[in-house]
Amino acid sequence: MGAEYLLYGYGLVCLSMLGFNLLYSFHLRSDDRRLRARTAILRRQVGSQLRRIEETPDGTSHPVQTRHLTWMRRRLSRVNCLLAFDQLMDELDEREIACQIYIKQLQPVFLYLATVYWKRENMQAAYFCHFLARHKLRRHMEMDQVQQVVLSCLEKDSLYCKINALKALCSFGSPSVLIDALEELSKGQGSQLHEKVITEALLNYTGDIKALIERLWSQLERFSLQIQRAVLDYIRFQSGACCGRMLEILQNPRRDKELRLAAIRYFGRYPYPPARKLLLDFLSDNDPIRWEFASISAFALARYDGRDVVNALLRAMSSANWYIRSNAAASLEAHGLTYEEMLQVLGGDDRFAREMLAYRLKAKRLEEEAFVAAARAEEESPRREEDPVSV
Amino acid sequence: MRDFIQFFLLCVEGFFILYMILYSSFLFLSVTVGSSDLYAAKRRNLLKNELANDYYVPVSILVPAHNEEITIEATVRSLLALDYKLYEIVVVDDGSTDNTTQVLRDTFQMWRIERPIQRRIPCQPEEEVYETRAYKVPITLVRKKNGGKADALNMGINVSSYPYFLCMDADSVLQYDSLEKIVRPVLEDSSTVAVGGTVRPCNGAEIENGRVIRYRMPGNLLACMQVLEYDRSFLASRILFDRFNGNIIISGAFGLFLKSVVIAAGGYDNTTMGEDMELAVKLHVYCRENGRRYRIRYVTDAVCWTQVPERIGDLCRQRRRWHIGLFQSMTKYKNILANPKYGAVSFISYFYFLLYELLSPYIEVFGLLATLLAFAVDLINVPFMLLFFGIYVVYTAIMSLTAFFARIHTIDLKLYPSDLLKAVGLCVVEVSCLRFVMAWVRITALFGYRKKNRTWGHIERQKIVIK
Repeated sequence: MGAEYLLYGYGLVCLSMLGFNLLYSFHLRSDDRRLRARTAILRRQVGSQLRRIEETPDGTSHPVQTRHLTWMRRRLSRVNCLLAFDQLMDELDEREIACQIYIKQLQPVFLYLATVYWKRENMQAAYFCHFLARHKLRRHMEMDQVQQVVLSCLEKDSLYCKINALKALCSFGSPSVLIDALEELSKGQGSQLHEKVITEALLNYTGDIKALIERLWSQLERFSLQIQRAVLDYIRFQSGACCGRMLEILQNPRRDKELRLAAIRYFGRYPYPPARKLLLDFLSDNDPIRWEFASISAFALARYDGRDVVNALLRAMSSANWYIRSNAAASLEAHGLTYEEMLQVLGGDDRFAREMLAYRLKAKRLEEEAFVAAARAEEESPRREEDPVSV
Repeated sequence: MRDFIQFFLLCVEGFFILYMILYSSFLFLSVTVGSSDLYAAKRRNLLKNELANDYYVPVSILVPAHNEEITIEATVRSLLALDYKLYEIVVVDDGSTDNTTQVLRDTFQMWRIERPIQRRIPCQPEEEVYETRAYKVPITLVRKKNGGKADALNMGINVSSYPYFLCMDADSVLQYDSLEKIVRPVLEDSSTVAVGGTVRPCNGAEIENGRVIRYRMPGNLLACMQVLEYDRSFLASRILFDRFNGNIIISGAFGLFLKSVVIAAGGYDNTTMGEDMELAVKLHVYCRENGRRYRIRYVTDAVCWTQVPERIGDLCRQRRRWHIGLFQSMTKYKNILANPKYGAVSFISYFYFLLYELLSPYIEVFGLLATLLAFAVDLINVPFMLLFFGIYVVYTAIMSLTAFFARIHTIDLKLYPSDLLKAVGLCVVEVSCLRFVMAWVRITALFGYRKKNRTWGHIERQKIVIK
């Protein structure tokens, strides 16, 4: 009869699951209501403090009450209340002086919360970092002590904690802390964040960009390859003043392939005469192992004038690699050659080149037709609105 | 003789107790882990533990089509409504005998173009290529000689321009945010080579611009049961397998792949019927054999809505194809079984699919025959057998409902009371009846399967309601 007990055990599991489903369903229904209630309580409390500040002529002599700060410390230590406060912050008009004074005087509360949330589970720590980044609190107060706590969030074993902490540090705008953050991210042995995520975070940096780029260059070797790639991409989006250092990377064959490709992309955006020969050499290299160098060089040479560049691109049109031919055709077009002219220059013998050029020519016409059709549709749309018959 | 039968039945009993304990434990584990993962994801989103929407990985969407004139327009329109910036649409018409190409040409004003195609993976030759640039993203249509779905996908890979490609079925609709959601694992971990999305039955759902504006359980009871089955079998178990990088199926209806790795692994195999499972297993093998660090992920919030068969004949045909595909993939990569090099992929995923998917119909029929034998020689405790069956049905039905409610709760869908009643009633029918019908279909699937290779499964299509 032992088997029966097993069956009853499974029956019990069924009942527990059923109970869980019902309870969770009721819990979900009341979720929004509770958030609204929490926001309302906070709104009342914060409102009374704002009125207190507004009541004084200069707006500064009446500080936020200590009792209120204590209450906020206790209240915002609960993540659901921080969520409600996050919502309330959206309602506050930060241009109003009373609001600015109020947020500034909350600084001790944020400092306290930073230490509280750092000790919490990763999800809550990540949310606190998101809160700091979202409201750009640095505009209102010194964040030096908070950013040390945020920096330590990068050590946590949570991807989102790392991302949100990096975003928060970028919003604080301190280059030295950001360098430490990137170094900490470089240590990560687990998952590798896509470089796009790091580049995007850096693009939201609110401090002195020139100073940051200078620091990034000087500390580049401290970072992992993944971070180095992200940093080079960031520099490509932000500054054209790093050609010399980029050329050093490009010239060094011991450098990682992806870094050198990032350097080629940089020279595609910012033409630099000393890089020209190197780009031409890459383009004329027929080794299939290095096709990516040739392909990206073909793309980069669009901005380099000269007969030798055009000739090299025309020769690349005979490459067996589709991407090299495609990029070379696009660059030749940027040099002012029409596809008809290119076809004439190349003659009709090279099937690869002929096919690619014919395709690009037709694709361009399709694009032009689509552009004209879109412009026409845009022109007609207001007329249609005015036309009572169409209505 | 009676002693021998008694001994035989004792062995069978021992085997089945072990088999069922393993199955029910797996089911419990997968539903618990799956549901808790869904609830955790909801809380993660609430607490902004997510990537913002401003990262765009370029993706080529491949739509292999064969005789899809009824659904193809709606599918492409849904793709144009995606909330994403950097993608292209490539439709491959695999020698349709209906007006699939014509419908696309006329609807989207596509023009014939002589496009050179780099054949990095062998496939049947193209007959015509059409393009249009009149929409927010380029649309390419390749009409090629018939070669099967895998061959069409290989052509799509050859034509595609971007480093990642997404494969989908021509009768499916992607949710507006599905592309953004499915690329997230790539951004979170650049070693991700493939990501499977969630496929949900769209029968009964009303979709507007890729958004579900009204959700009802389908009116058709067969489709209703499949809704429950999808949540229990696919959603829950794939979430569990994802925990240890052990997913060996990425649905052909919705999967994202890193193109360079797929090309290096040889692309889709057009000799198998289950090209989706074959590719996922192949990627595991390729990455492990080459010592490449990799992840194959499954995301629950990237959703593709698909039509599930509403007629039993269509459902049987679909499941027969799936079973043949499973058989072909598992036999092709049989060296994975009990191979320490493959870790959990071998000892959990492969073992589960072998025992509880591929062999389960045979084991179930064997169990039924053993029960009949025991009944014939009066060696069975009938009340206990009925209690056992009753508990099994209730247990599996409640697991189905738990997975179903976890999904409904976490994506904020509103259910009507009649839908609730349908779900509760039909989950019992699904477990106690449909499951055994499907077991029979799977048993017979392998008879003469070799003749069916490289053919497209035909299911009666209905126009997808998209506003």
